[in-house]
Amino acid sequence: MSAPRPADPHPETTGTASPALLRDFYRTMLTARLLDEEAVALQRQGVFPAYVSLRGQEAAQVGSAAALDRDHDFAFPTYREMAVALALDVDMVGYLASHRALWHGGLYDPMRSRFAPINAVVGGPVPHAVGWALGERLRGDPGCAIAYFGDGASSEGDVHEAMNFAAVFAAPVVFFCQNNQWALSVPNDRQVAGGSIAARAAGYGMPGVTVDGNDVVAVHAAVREALERARSGAGPSVIEARTYRLGPHSTSDDPGRYRDPDEERRWRERDPIARLRAVLERDGHADTAFFEEAEREAGEQAIRIRDGVSSAPPPGGEEMFTHVYREPTEALRAQQRAWREEAEL
Amino acid sequence: MAEQTFALPDLGEGLVEATVLEWLVRPGERVERNQPLVELETTKSAVEIPSPCSGTVVRLHASEEETLRVGAALVTFEVDSAAGIVGTVPGGERPTRRVRLRPPAE
Amino acid sequence: MTELSIAEEPVPAPARGPSMQQAINLALEKVLEEDPTTLVFGEDVGRLGGVFRVTDGLQRRFGAERVFDTPLAESGIVGLAVGLAMNGWRPIPELQFDGFAYPALDQIVNQMARMHYRSRGTAPMPITLRLPSFGGIQAPEHHGESLEALFAHVPGLKVCAPSDPADAYRLLLQSVRADDPVIYMEPKARYWDRGPAELAEPTEPIGSSRVVRPGRHATLVAWGAMVHRCLQVADLAAEDGVDLEVVDLRWLKPIDADGLAASVARTRRAVVVHEAPLTAGLGAEVAALITERTFGDLLAPVQRVTGFDVPYPAGPLEPQYLPTLDRVLLAVQRTLEA
Ligand SMILES: Cc1ncc(C[n+]2csc(CCOP(=O)(O)OP(=O)(O)O)c2C)c(N)n1
Ligand SMILES: [Mg+2]
Repeated sequence: MSAPRPADPHPETTGTASPALLRDFYRTMLTARLLDEEAVALQRQGVFPAYVSLRGQEAAQVGSAAALDRDHDFAFPTYREMAVALALDVDMVGYLASHRALWHGGLYDPMRSRFAPINAVVGGPVPHAVGWALGERLRGDPGCAIAYFGDGASSEGDVHEAMNFAAVFAAPVVFFCQNNQWALSVPNDRQVAGGSIAARAAGYGMPGVTVDGNDVVAVHAAVREALERARSGAGPSVIEARTYRLGPHSTSDDPGRYRDPDEERRWRERDPIARLRAVLERDGHADTAFFEEAEREAGEQAIRIRDGVSSAPPPGGEEMFTHVYREPTEALRAQQRAWREEAEL
Repeated sequence: MAEQTFALPDLGEGLVEATVLEWLVRPGERVERNQPLVELETTKSAVEIPSPCSGTVVRLHASEEETLRVGAALVTFEVDSAAGIVGTVPGGERPTRRVRLRPPAE
Repeated sequence: MTELSIAEEPVPAPARGPSMQQAINLALEKVLEEDPTTLVFGEDVGRLGGVFRVTDGLQRRFGAERVFDTPLAESGIVGLAVGLAMNGWRPIPELQFDGFAYPALDQIVNQMARMHYRSRGTAPMPITLRLPSFGGIQAPEHHGESLEALFAHVPGLKVCAPSDPADAYRLLLQSVRADDPVIYMEPKARYWDRGPAELAEPTEPIGSSRVVRPGRHATLVAWGAMVHRCLQVADLAAEDGVDLEVVDLRWLKPIDADGLAASVARTRRAVVVHEAPLTAGLGAEVAALITERTFGDLLAPVQRVTGFDVPYPAGPLEPQYLPTLDRVLLAVQRTLEA
């Protein structure tokens, strides 16, 4: 598998970043792409019951994650933020364990990773980012929260409530919407009244910007600026990264039923990885040797993670009971004993 | 060298069967892991199944247009190493029991 | 121990009647046809035809005014249904998965369930809320929940859960034609299995249970996918010379207390089986109803076999959480020994 090459490379980017940072972006985005392909294959091979591909959203995810302060900030993902996890050095076997249905929230340590458990409730985690951020402000600590959510999620009451709360409390939070044009089968024009999620920020009295979500440099710059603002005490902001879900909603989905293959083709031509490669080549920041090396390393890492998650031991049945409470009830302990007796029949 | 049979997995949230649209490999053919094997159709969509291992195709267990239950054998490989097929295939086994009942005295 | 298999047995020769998912589709088609005030809406139910294809083809047939996609907001979906109902429509909203009924609970409980009462009987509320429910399909989190006890506890709601295609068809027609809000819970694990039965109009009133297998030694009570589990148990028990009756409750509110009592008065032993957690589950209600009515006949306390008091677990733990054949058999044995 080699990195995609663009028909129309759109090599322009709106910001600047150091060549070393650009090369880092490239390596992470490519690893995410190859790992994503392995994950889709694992579903077809019966190893994962289901998987949600982020193909096409690598720039939005890697660019935003790279702007975070790894010691102080905290990310609240949905179920599609695999490349964010990768960019934040989350244990990826533990991350993908969620897709192998070993543990719903994943088997990584979310508190140490500063990356909340995978969350499948659309819109649900967005208010958590506000609460987390308020907690930093109350304690006088410098951390900011970033809430990831989709265009579909922007319709949920929780998201609107979270934005209003954040502005009322001047919480250091960045609302980062990946507008990938589709919420399962529903397109933007049937989802987002007014056509812009960024524009809603004005109603809540905070800045809102739209960025080209397939331009990793632009995404990175926008998130960095929003974080600086939040960290300085100036409060929350909204970033809408316009991107595209190149694959089906999930491995159980068939987009042929609702969207035009021409649209998919047009967005494939704006592939964020191919675009970054074109910039690196144009500016002489990377040579053939770099791309070959990046390809090899990304492939090896993807296979290592794939094999790791494929062979990870499933949690034992005891774990159904042990994580329900910090202070378990006697009634639950009794159920656990009954379960064990039956298991040991 | 060992033979390994790959069973039809549940391709999406509780589906119970799938229909073979087209085989993309022939018996005797060498395949690499993730090489497309077969195109299947489910109630939800058409999907291409990538090979779960590297090896040689020994047998195809269904003909084109045939409908298979989840858990039924799909293809048998002779594999280079026994690693490769992992995970579980739901729906294949009969329900098992260990408890025996004693009927009440009547 | 040897790993318990809870896999459904491979159906030897698949029955060729409609699957449950098709039966519900046909019932929706029928009510859309017979009543021009019916409306079908929810997330992805229109163009896509629903994630389980339950609404497949309906938008094409009845148009995007009567079968439509909504923005992604469950509370909004149910609130919309309440307003439409007050304005003379008969809404049939879908919430995509059980776990996403939680974001709509306020509109379900505080609004839909009591608008009729609040308005002193003047506001009509003929809503059928379709909810793909229960577990057993190795799905992601929030796709395996059993909310029936929650709904059954709410005054003003009626609740049902079919177990096979023929009943799915009948119960949906009943629910839509009823003038009160009904939560219609669809067992996802049974969507694709076909039944041999013809689809027919309902003949019994709302709130009637049915005996799906007659027997004399004990009564198993279940609903949704657990009816199938109980039929498997009854087959195994028969090998041991124990003759079990299986009652499909179908309606979880109102519950057929007379039907339950009639069965248990004959068998004198009862085991209730559900996927939901034990504590304050519907099994407690069933056990109380049986005990109140047949206390003198009972040879043993009513047994409950349920999920545990834990969040619904992921894939490989699912079979350990759901009532296994052995757990049900052990409960039967306890009633036989008492
Ligand atoms: C509260 C809730 N409702 C419904 C769903 C089912 N569902 C899962 S993803 C999805 C679409 C989400 O679209 P969007 O927010 O745009 O995110 P994307 O999938 O495009 O990343 C739906 C309807 C859910 N997971 N949570
Ligand atoms: Mg989207």
